Order: sequence, then C-alpha cells, then structure tokens
Amino acid sequence: MMDSDQTVAEVAPFRAKQYVAPPASNAAPDAQYWSTQMSAVSAHRDRASFMRIYDHFAPRLQRYLRNLGVPDPVSDELVQEALLTLWRKAGMFDPARASLATWLYRVARNLYIDHVRREPHWLPIQEGLDRLDHAESARPDSQPESSLDQDILKQAIDRLPPTQAKLVRMCYLESKSHSEISAELDMPLGSVKSSLRRSFAKLQGSMRAPR
Amino acid sequence: MKPNHHLDDATLLSYSSGALPAALAVVASTHLERCATCRTRLLDADRIGGALMQQQRVEAPTDDARAAMLALLDAEPAIEQVAPPADIVEEHDPDRLPSALHPWFGNSMRALRWRRVAPGVQRIRATGISGGDLMLLRIAPGSKLPLHSHGGSELTVILDGAYDDMLGHFGPGDVADLDGEIQHQPVTSPGVPCICVAATDAPLVFSGWFARTLQPLFGF
Repeated sequence: MMDSDQTVAEVAPFRAKQYVAPPASNAAPDAQYWSTQMSAVSAHRDRASFMRIYDHFAPRLQRYLRNLGVPDPVSDELVQEALLTLWRKAGMFDPARASLATWLYRVARNLYIDHVRREPHWLPIQEGLDRLDHAESARPDSQPESSLDQDILKQAIDRLPPTQAKLVRMCYLESKSHSEISAELDMPLGSVKSSLRRSFAKLQGSMRAPR
Repeated sequence: MKPNHHLDDATLLSYSSGALPAALAVVASTHLERCATCRTRLLDADRIGGALMQQQRVEAPTDDARAAMLALLDAEPAIEQVAPPADIVEEHDPDRLPSALHPWFGNSMRALRWRRVAPGVQRIRATGISGGDLMLLRIAPGSKLPLHSHGGSELTVILDGAYDDMLGHFGPGDVADLDGEIQHQPVTSPGVPCICVAATDAPLVFSGWFARTLQPLFGF
C-alpha cells in the first residue's frame, strides 16, 4: 500500500503536465480544463478537443438563446455560428482574461444582439472594446479568471435572496431592461435598480474574495 | 485623462445582458471606450452571465447535431490561426469622435452640423435609432440649464468642456448615469462649450414655467 502510494507520488508531477483528465460524469469541468482544450484547438486544430467543448457548451448556449425567445431554427444556427467563431478565433482566447464560459457567453450575446435584435453597430463596437481589453490584460489590477473558482460565483448566485435572484435571471436570461422588469413585476424602477446593484455587489464580492 | 464618474452597476448589468435600450447602449459604449475601470467591471458582469449560462441543466447534443457541426468544420477553409491583435495605439486626435458614435454622427467633431434649439444650446439628434432618444448637445460656456428630472433613465458622456451640478464636476469621459428620481441643473464651465452625447429611454420632465416653455424647443 505504502509502496504504491509512493510510486504514484513520483509520477504524478510528470503526468500532470501532459494529461488533463476528462471530467467525471457529474463534476463540472473547471476553467483550467477548458483552457487546455482551447490550447489544443488553437495549436493543433484538435477536433476531439473542439467536440468536448461543443458537447458541453452547445446545449447550454442553445438553452440560453431559447430563453431569450429565439426560435429554434435560428438558435440552432446561432449556436453553430458561436462554435465556428470559437474554431476560427481560438487563438484570440486569453484564459488570463476570461474563462471559456464567459468568452462564449459574450460571443452568443453579441450574435443575439446582432442577428435577433438587429443592431448592426453592436458587433464592431464590442470588437473595439475587446482590442482595448487585450491591450490591458497585463494591467496589475486585472484579475485572471482562471485563478477564480467559478464554483464560488455559482454558489454566490444560489445564495442570493429570492427577489434578487429573480431580477438577476430576468436581466441576464430573459434580457429584460430595467423598465420591462419594473412593469412586469409591478415594482418601482428605483427598486429594480437598487436590487440589481445589491446583487452585483454581492457577486462581485464573491469573485474578489481573498482565498 | 481618467474619468471620475462611472456607469451605475445596474446599467452595467443591463449592458452585459444585452438589455440596455439601444440609445443608452451607445452612450455607455462611449464611456467604456475611455474607461478601463468600467471595462474591468463589465468583465465581472459578463462572468455572471457566463456562470448563469453554464449553470443551466441541459441534455447532451444529438448525434445529428454533432454530425452537422463536424460537417461545418469540414467546410471551413484551413485558415491561419488568428493571433491576438497587436495593442492599438491610443490616438489623441481631439477632432475624432468616439467609435461608438460614428454610425450616428460620423467621426469628426468639426464636421458636425449643429442646429440651434435654444439660446446657447445646439443639438444634433440621431435618426433611426430604436429604443430611446440619442443626441449630441453643445452648450455655450457658463450656461445654466433648466432644472429637470427624467421619466426613465438618462445617460450623458462629456466629450469636450465640462459642467457642474449637485453630483459634482463632469469633464471629458465622465458619465452621468441618472434615473427618474434625480433632478439636476447642470451649469457649464467657462471657456469652451460643453459638448456631450446624451440618451434617454423616456421623455425628460422640466419643472417651472420657463423650462416648460423650453421643452418644445428641446423636443424631448
């Protein structure tokens, strides 16, 4: 028993560099895992890695777009387009700046605003902001997301009081404006805003908490 | 110069989720172009979106959907991998309008064709924008604007010159992110005209008879 443990301890440091285990069926893969898959897509056009990303994220992006009211044939196309964007621009992905989930969320949201909301100026503006972000990723106060435990953010979302959680979901998952939320819930505009402010402060606090 | 007045957290969440009305989003983008602090905060807001997107319970993709995706990869030309873009050089051309405004007002400050709407106040209103009202305002130095509040939300970014109100001093790059409860009366600084871009998602409400007389002139 002792002998075999020692053997494992000896080989582990070498294996860790070369081999990223696929996630166990129930455990969510972490940002580091996705970053490794992205490197393989970027450096070797690795289709197996790409399809691991596809299998995990395509259904989630599809659900996100359906929730926004995008009809199925369009949401299918937008999901494919988001993943094709990933295939083409994998080299642009900077794990020090954002996790793959955040990166794909931005891609899908931008496609939604461009294709569904038909705001043709949104995409070029976002590309311009991305370039500014790249110029800044070396800034001392920029915090690499890969070092953040995404589980902590997810737990913080789950811990929001019911009303705050509802408003955050209406904002992100239904893309409702403050005044739409206010009208739908019959809640004063000022209360909608202050509730969203409190939620953001809590969630930001969880991301910035020292660990 | 680093801005001192920033976007409200609630506005950032709305921007990140794609829910900010188009006119307000143009003004928010104008500030984001100039404000690294708010771009970092926006990334935090996007992380929340990423986490919510990833948290959803879903079924595995069908074999047909996977085959369709792989077929699309086959059809992709073997392109050179896109490298991260080189750092862009900050241009300090005082005549150049922020990129977010180009589709609506062109790119040159000098080429703007102002229209006088009240003594000391000139305006250019964007046409064809959905979701709110978007305009450039050019207010003579040392002017006092009528006291007004807002039915909905108002976002203003200073492009040149400055003004003061009860919330403080607003100079180039600063954003005034106001909601319906705030009544304010900006006074522009002496020297150069105050040029700003402003968007509302609901009509402004002026108070007082003088302001009510001005209201039709502003056409808010």
